[in-house]
Amino acid sequence: MTTIMAISAGLSQPSSTRMLADRLAAEVKADHTETVELREYAHDITDHLLTRFANARLRPVLRRLADADGLILVTPVFTASFSGLFKSFLDIVEPDALQGKPVLIGATGGTERHSLVLEHALRPVLTYLRAVVLPTAVYAASADWGNDTDLSRRIARAAGELAAEVARRPAVGRVDPFADPVPFTDLLADISGRTDHD
Amino acid sequence: MTSLIILSGSPSVTSRTGALSDHLATRLRGDGHTASVVRVRDLPAEPLLHADSTHPKIAEVADAIAGAHGVVVASPVYKAAYSGVLKLLLDLLPQFALAGKVVLPVVTGGTPAHVLAIDYALRPVLSSLGADHIVPGWFVLDRHVEPLPGDARLDQRAAEDLYPIVDAFSEVVRGRHALAVA
Ligand SMILES: Cc1cc2nc3c(=O)[nH]c(=O)nc-3n(C[C@H](O)[C@H](O)[C@H](O)COP(=O)(O)O)c2cc1C
Repeated sequence: MTTIMAISAGLSQPSSTRMLADRLAAEVKADHTETVELREYAHDITDHLLTRFANARLRPVLRRLADADGLILVTPVFTASFSGLFKSFLDIVEPDALQGKPVLIGATGGTERHSLVLEHALRPVLTYLRAVVLPTAVYAASADWGNDTDLSRRIARAAGELAAEVARRPAVGRVDPFADPVPFTDLLADISGRTDHD
Repeated sequence: MTSLIILSGSPSVTSRTGALSDHLATRLRGDGHTASVVRVRDLPAEPLLHADSTHPKIAEVADAIAGAHGVVVASPVYKAAYSGVLKLLLDLLPQFALAGKVVLPVVTGGTPAHVLAIDYALRPVLSSLGADHIVPGWFVLDRHVEPLPGDARLDQRAAEDLYPIVDAFSEVVRGRHALAVA
């Protein structure tokens, strides 16, 4: 079972950043996908920055993030870089939570002129966090919505890369101690084996 | 009199960056500066590739930069960054070759998706060369530049965007010079 978590740092409602995150997530065709909007956790993220402690609302999100097989991270471009909320979230993620995890990066902006934010701002930070950042990053400018551009093709390509990378590796999910119990007969055999030697 | 030098970093003969550089030189002369254009492709390849800064042609450029009040650094966008040819020349200059100078970065490129190559790729290089004041730069789409002999014809909208940037650079150069001689 593969799980993909998409994280949108968009602030507006409706948000084109959320829209891009959803479209990328849907295109990966994993068994389980969810999109988290950071705006709903903005206060919790700030609390974490100030107290260095994940509160009860934030903890399950961070756990699901650590357990996801692949991530989709999408930020709006604010003043030629990622948004403050996006960076704040990366700042509170456990340092090794993203290690070795396949990550698809995306960004939305008013103008295509800011596309390189993906390569110069997002990619280096995620590389620093030792994520496996996929080669295709998706930028959607305002003009990409509702017009006949190649956005769909770029989404398909990037999502394909994420799906392939996730398929290549063993599932991440936490080891559930009750998921694969030792059959009772084996336990009995074990006991009888031991009595033989005693 | 203020002197300006325009470094043009395209390897191509029919370079749009080069044509744009000539065009800017003409505009800046019209604004009262002396301006010369150095096309990196016209410099000898051997000293560029072997990092020979003592070669007379290279030393000549370094001296011209040292004597200039302002420098326009023009490059095509290649693979999302400035050209390698431009960097060959910059690498041969003294560490703080741009100290005390006003610098204007200008790039030409095939897609607006690469506009930020100016601010994320080129600007840090110019800062590391000690530039005093790097004014806001500009990106011109290649199809908006039509090379002419010794000049370029610019798309009208592109010119309307670019000229205020160039004129602002010109003003800063003049202003700093006036302060320095006062
Ligand atoms: C090897 C090569 C790589 C290029 N890479 C890019 C690129 O990554 N982004 C871009 O916007 N344009 C790219 N272009 C297009 C040029 O930047 C554009 O045509 C420019 O105006 C060429 O300037 P020139 O005629 O002065 O060489 C590339 C061109 C070449 C030859």
